[in-house]
Amino acid sequence: MAPMSEAGPLEELQHALPEKVMTWSKAEEDQFYDSQSIFDYIDGAGEVYRAYNMQRCLSRRYVTPEGPVIILDLFEMVSSYDAFGLFTHDPDGDVLAIGQGAVYRSGWLGFWKDRFFVSLYADDDTEAAKQALFELAGKVASLIKKEGPKPQILSRLPKKGLQAASVRYFHDHPVLNRHYFISTENILRLGSWTEAVLAAYQLKEGATQILLVMYPDAEKAKEANSSFLKHYLPDADPSGMATLENKKWCGASVKGPLLAIVLEADSREIAASLLAGLIGKDK
Amino acid sequence: METVITRRDFLKVGAAAAVGGLAGLPHTGSAKAIGKSRVVLVRNKDVIAGSGSIRAEILEQMLDQAMTTLLGTPDPVSAWEQVVKPEDVVGIKSNAWYQLPTPHSLEAAIQGRLLQVGVKKEDASVDDRGVLSNPVFQRATALINTRPMRTHYWSGLGTLLKNYIMFTPRPSDYHANACENLGALWHFPQVEGKTRLNILVMLTPQFHGVGPHSFSKEYLWNYCGLILSTDPVSADATGASIIQKKRDAFFGARKPISPPLNHITAADTRFGLGNSRPEMIEVIKMGWEESILI
Repeated sequence: MAPMSEAGPLEELQHALPEKVMTWSKAEEDQFYDSQSIFDYIDGAGEVYRAYNMQRCLSRRYVTPEGPVIILDLFEMVSSYDAFGLFTHDPDGDVLAIGQGAVYRSGWLGFWKDRFFVSLYADDDTEAAKQALFELAGKVASLIKKEGPKPQILSRLPKKGLQAASVRYFHDHPVLNRHYFISTENILRLGSWTEAVLAAYQLKEGATQILLVMYPDAEKAKEANSSFLKHYLPDADPSGMATLENKKWCGASVKGPLLAIVLEADSREIAASLLAGLIGKDK
Repeated sequence: METVITRRDFLKVGAAAAVGGLAGLPHTGSAKAIGKSRVVLVRNKDVIAGSGSIRAEILEQMLDQAMTTLLGTPDPVSAWEQVVKPEDVVGIKSNAWYQLPTPHSLEAAIQGRLLQVGVKKEDASVDDRGVLSNPVFQRATALINTRPMRTHYWSGLGTLLKNYIMFTPRPSDYHANACENLGALWHFPQVEGKTRLNILVMLTPQFHGVGPHSFSKEYLWNYCGLILSTDPVSADATGASIIQKKRDAFFGARKPISPPLNHITAADTRFGLGNSRPEMIEVIKMGWEESILI
């Protein structure tokens, strides 16, 4: 269970937010959205935030006479795990030292800190707007007083060869498919009740990806493993491994509530070694 | 569980690089046996002015060219006469998303042709979010579906198929599994069998997005095209193919549309709304050929 944060409520942050940033000033009244009304604000994209247990969103617009509108969206999640997960959903861009992780690209700055995911967006990517985004992001980050822990499941990932920028934390099947298409149907039985992490590896022996899923109990993990073997690896050998059509290796193993899958390993040895290590950690 | 298509199905057909996209999709059979679908792609580089505004008169010409070609008629009015009758009540399902709406000049051009065919002014209406309460849409006998194509955080792409999500009072009911069941909306009583024409706006399509607002001007480009078809699935699949190629070219590597376009596939295989496979689509290309990407 993810720990609840002690960070202040969204209203406390709202009162402390700056009214002005460079030449930009707060426009109309702030808007609040919950996990249902978020669709009125950002349409179907709201599903991404719901998939990470969004509680509420505070939206503020800043305007300047000759420049683009800047939109600040403060998403309050249930836990820092999900704020981190949301950040990993779309991490492309220039890495910044803001909050607990930040990126900038094409007029958009996103960062996470504690149980907040913060998005700052300028509808035109001017140099002045970029400076304003950076300044505003720094101020918002400083208002969030504490940091939050990353998901515990990340500690199960082997360190050797891990491509840190590739880590994705999530709960749902559509989010997995966005990062790594497995199947049209939810064969891994993923949902709000599961915690999953996907990560790429580059070892001297070759490359691969690892998917770890933590289920609520061992029975559900076992069912998911059976479903995965049935639909994805019907040709698996007794150790749960098979050669894919592209000559790479895939394998799955389950231990207690943890399902470990090695995806597209360059060799059987890599897949077997990683699987043994991953499941061994749960012994 | 429905028929399961996995990553391995893509690998089997040698489309490893296409995993997650529509191209090379392994097929499990259409729900209905229908013939090949005709899609017209018309482009004119002059439709976008230097200022970025749309030249309405050129857009009208493009629409007319595409209509006469699509329906094989000598003139635009004859083409529209095949689409609607004077007694029809016509809802023009547009898209009002503030960053990239259906151009007003296109809506006006469609309305103008409807009036020429004899449709009464009070029997034609343009709407998006108000279709359920719009009196014209409530008594509509015909629908014309038009919207710009753009990438979408949850469905992969904002498509013609997705444009009908406003016909349900609870759009979020259709968000599951990357919006794969959007095709079901097309069998709603107020929609089924009424769509006479689909116009996918590819004037300045959006091939990538950023942040919760899913938009950046950096990811628009002047493609200067319209895609017309009576088959929404074929029109969407054609547009998706162009978007995919633009992404690959822009990023310099395969960058699959993500999440995968489940709703286009399902519209074909599960809901029988049209053809998604390239071999079942006849694309007629007209006008500007540079960087056509198809």
